[in-house]
Amino acid sequence: MASSDLVRTVDDDGILLDATEDTVVDVLVDDRRVWSFWSLRDTVDDEGLRRAPWPKALRKFLDGRARFTVRETVSGRVLFDDELAFGTSTAPIAIVGRHGEPLSLDKDGRLSATFDVRDASQTGPLLDAIEEVLGVLRELGVGAFPAYGTLLGAVREGNLLGHDSDADLGYVSTETTPVDVVRESFRLQREIGARGYRTHRYSGAAFKVEVAEGDGVVRGLDVFGGFFDDGRLYLMGEVGQEFREDWIFPLGTCTLADRTLPAPAVPEKLLEAMYGAGWRVPDPAFKFEKDPHTQAQLNGWFRGTQVDLRRWDRFYSGRRRKLPRGRASELAVLAHEELPADVHVLDVGAGRGRDAWYLARQGRTVTAYDYLPHAATAVRKQAEKKGLALDVRRLNLLEIRSVLGEGARVAHEPGQRAILAGHVLDATYAPGRQGFIRFARMALRGGGRLYASFWTGKAHDLNHVWPIAMADVVSLIEQNGGSILHASESVVPRKSGAEVGVGRVVAQWA
Amino acid sequence: MKSWLTRSARVEELEKRVRVLEQDVVELRRHNLRLAELTDVVEELLVPLASRDDAAASAAIEKFTKSL
Repeated sequence: MASSDLVRTVDDDGILLDATEDTVVDVLVDDRRVWSFWSLRDTVDDEGLRRAPWPKALRKFLDGRARFTVRETVSGRVLFDDELAFGTSTAPIAIVGRHGEPLSLDKDGRLSATFDVRDASQTGPLLDAIEEVLGVLRELGVGAFPAYGTLLGAVREGNLLGHDSDADLGYVSTETTPVDVVRESFRLQREIGARGYRTHRYSGAAFKVEVAEGDGVVRGLDVFGGFFDDGRLYLMGEVGQEFREDWIFPLGTCTLADRTLPAPAVPEKLLEAMYGAGWRVPDPAFKFEKDPHTQAQLNGWFRGTQVDLRRWDRFYSGRRRKLPRGRASELAVLAHEELPADVHVLDVGAGRGRDAWYLARQGRTVTAYDYLPHAATAVRKQAEKKGLALDVRRLNLLEIRSVLGEGARVAHEPGQRAILAGHVLDATYAPGRQGFIRFARMALRGGGRLYASFWTGKAHDLNHVWPIAMADVVSLIEQNGGSILHASESVVPRKSGAEVGVGRVVAQWA
Repeated sequence: MKSWLTRSARVEELEKRVRVLEQDVVELRRHNLRLAELTDVVEELLVPLASRDDAAASAAIEKFTKSL
């Protein structure tokens, strides 16, 4: 066993250190790095010492035996090294994923197959993809280069950073206003998608290209847009500062593993803008210190279409493969009773699709819309199997293109439609409600009905929703051309004993 | 005392104006993404929808929504 004065114990509660200076340390399990943290920044006081509690993502693996090593990242000095036992199992601790792939915490604290556990045959396909996407972007007139962690790895180590789990690309547009930078980013995503890649947009100036590697692991390749404006460089999602154009153009080269790739003319300057003057010193636990003004600028120009998406994703993760249980909502039953059988029901904010499933089983044609359509995966598959007329589609109420695109799509279809909106108006905020009502106007023109329910009163135990006043809903509908057929409010007791108001509105568009 | 109060009131007034201006700037910044989205919709959908070809219009809408 090796230990030092710095690390006192490694046990169920985490790692206890006697640290007075902030230094970054790695934690290794059976000689493999699984976690890195700063001895002061990422620890809590424990009777005068510092404790780094096990991250939740790692804690669940701590049942069994393994050799634990704690070492200083930069010097490599070993601070602790011993065989330890956790929990009740005597089996070796294996921190691996579903396919047996070794996992470790990446810089964002996510358990990922980071590059330090992957050999050349595994990272080769990602490097291929980086080259391919850089090539596509070049063909589309954009000189992109590795950015953020990928540029850092190339310039500092000539390789992918061991603690990284994804690859970042950046480009500096010849456009000079955010609106044109966004339009260009839309075009690039569309062209890359047309070449067969799955893509996913994060913001007006950044999107992800998904690349499946040899072993089936799907990796994200993030493409960040940037631009110069009056001597300042802005690069999504962190950079906004005075910067010389000749530090970017003409592009030079850098080496990443065995590949020669484009790079900014003076990559060191961009790395300094991204990571500060200390970028040359390895820091697997690096956290961005966001400049509030730059963030306000980037947020205002480019962000706002993904609000709460991650929270909803976490909410649904683990449940989406199971069929939703429980009865359909009263609202869905009411809509079914009132609507003629041939009315196509658009279930907006369908979540896992409980109501859509119910309506489809009654023989109706249903489209289940959600911000996260994969939440209704189980319902979609079952409906497919049973031959029910249930379609699941993405609708992002915060994205004008999504609302207008889907609005145009349904308006173009023949037949009568109705919208079912159970707890949607209270699950989004004002811009989302504007998107919703715009969609409703387009979809319901010509006699279509809206059935909506929402919490109206204050309650402390509601998850993911924020009550909205009945008067606000009524005026939203009326100002947008709808006529109220029914509006009522009732009080519902919750399991917790609290009482909440529930509003119900039925409206119709001429 | 009076001049101090006046100054304090002026600072308060200026702080209020700065807050309003900050809100205005935030609102203006948001127009970038909105305008880009609207332009994209027009560019991608207007021509196919204006054509009388129903199938082409449906295909253009489907292609557009899939590309988001």
